[in-house]
Amino acid sequence: MNILETKGLYHDFKGLKVLFDINLQVKEGERHAVIGPNGAGKTTLFNLITGTYSPSRGRVIFRNRDITGERPHELRRLGMGRSFQITSTFDRMTTFQNVRLAVLSKRGIRFNFFRRLENMHEVTRETDDILKRINLSAERDMPAGVLSYGKHRTLEISLALATEPDLIMLDEPTAGMSSEETHTSVELVRRLTEGKTVVIIEHDMDVVFSLADRITVLHLGEILATGTPEEIRLNQAVKRAYLGEAKE
Amino acid sequence: MNRRNTALLWVAALAFLFFYPRLFGPYYTNLFVSFAVFAAYSVSLNMLLGYTGLLSFGHAMFFGAGGYGTALALKHIPGLPIIPAVLIGFFTAMILALVLSPLMVRATGAAFAMLHLAFGQLMYVLALKLRGITGGEDGISGFPIPPLNIPWMGSISMNDSMNFFYFVIIILGLSGWLMWFFTKTPLGQVQIGVRDNTKRIEYLGYKVPQTKAVVYMMSGAFAGVAGSIYGLFQNLVSADGSLGILVSFAPITNTVVGGVGSFFGPIWGTAIFQLIQEISVRYTERIELVEGLMLVLVMMFAPTGFVGLIHSMRSKLTALSVSLASRKYVENA
Repeated sequence: MNILETKGLYHDFKGLKVLFDINLQVKEGERHAVIGPNGAGKTTLFNLITGTYSPSRGRVIFRNRDITGERPHELRRLGMGRSFQITSTFDRMTTFQNVRLAVLSKRGIRFNFFRRLENMHEVTRETDDILKRINLSAERDMPAGVLSYGKHRTLEISLALATEPDLIMLDEPTAGMSSEETHTSVELVRRLTEGKTVVIIEHDMDVVFSLADRITVLHLGEILATGTPEEIRLNQAVKRAYLGEAKE
Repeated sequence: MNRRNTALLWVAALAFLFFYPRLFGPYYTNLFVSFAVFAAYSVSLNMLLGYTGLLSFGHAMFFGAGGYGTALALKHIPGLPIIPAVLIGFFTAMILALVLSPLMVRATGAAFAMLHLAFGQLMYVLALKLRGITGGEDGISGFPIPPLNIPWMGSISMNDSMNFFYFVIIILGLSGWLMWFFTKTPLGQVQIGVRDNTKRIEYLGYKVPQTKAVVYMMSGAFAGVAGSIYGLFQNLVSADGSLGILVSFAPITNTVVGGVGSFFGPIWGTAIFQLIQEISVRYTERIELVEGLMLVLVMMFAPTGFVGLIHSMRSKLTALSVSLASRKYVENA
């Protein structure tokens, strides 16, 4: 059963063609990695799926529903969440307030201006639970902008996860992290996305091959191959395009 | 500050307000009313400027809408009580904000500021030209000020400056409290999120234009209450006094001087400007020159305003006392 599907997706930026005929299929419950060299069009594909831009041609189907060109807040309500390659949090708010915004959205508390937030004990408790699970309890009352890089990235990923989407789109969650931080984050993602569908863009091959159930390789705006990590490892075209000529 | 001290401070402030008109006489009572009007008006502007990051050069249109709404209602509806008259001011301004919101919530930055300048000036010119309704340059004056009728307590005349003072404190105090309450609710938090990171707020599932529209209407409506009270206070609503460009700029300067980032900043700013006016008017006619100089100095040396200055001074003092204490500790050891 496909939870997400793109049908013949094309995109060009004012004449610069970035994506050609992308037919991506993501199965319910799998961790699907999208890899490819720099400039392959991975983030653009993400932006088309999550509603940042509308595609030039083609359709995006989420749970048998055409979501092409839907606004981000609509997609979130349908059950899709995303994180960003460039960390995008509320830097002047505390870590707690950041996560609380995600919790409020998940609970559908969006237009309430009749009750004080501090009296919403359920929300406070849930937010503190999440902070504990992502190991940011000590940083609860620090502004997000002063967190260390690794912790800031953790918060970034957690904002997407805290709204409990059914489909989670992670754009390079480990970008710029040290190898230790990467390891922690991968464990975090693995732990928090248990039983959920994840689409992940990643450069770190160790992460990709340890985390993903299936891999799609993008190269120069086209899908080169899709398959299990084993199939991708053995695929000659991928080796040529991605890893350079084999040295055998 | 703990809860008990805060409560004590509030009790002291309320007691001060209660005895204020008896202690200082009618002149300073009226001065305080005008301060309260502009403080509430500035707080309503700060809902947009400080909490949503939107600078409006035309906030006077809501202030004026409230004033004209109340004045016209009192002039044309005989026997209208005072509370409904103020509520009419509130709703006139809110409806104006509602009508403008589909356009305004999609504008940000300079476009938002300029659109407000344009619509503000449009309202000003309309008030001048539609003589039959607004009285043109003379404005609307001499409308009846109804007494406040409280069941079982009889009617309280609003022509008495001391009674009017208490009425204003209660109405504007309630308005201020409602705005403060709003900043503590979930939507108030989302509003700050919109200011800090609009993209992320959208991806978290919040509707940005609708959120902005609610805030915008609230900001306009409370500016309308301030304008309505101002009209009652002066028994006059005029284009220059309630819709002019200077009426739009006053809350901006008050807010900037007091501190954009804080809820109480605009109130401090209004107090500072009122004091400067009171003092400088005794020595010079060029009050604007003194105010302008003040604004430049604040921009240069205290860009976070009065409240920001207090905060940074307090943290410096804490740091100083900590370092002194630790030095003593080292000496003793």
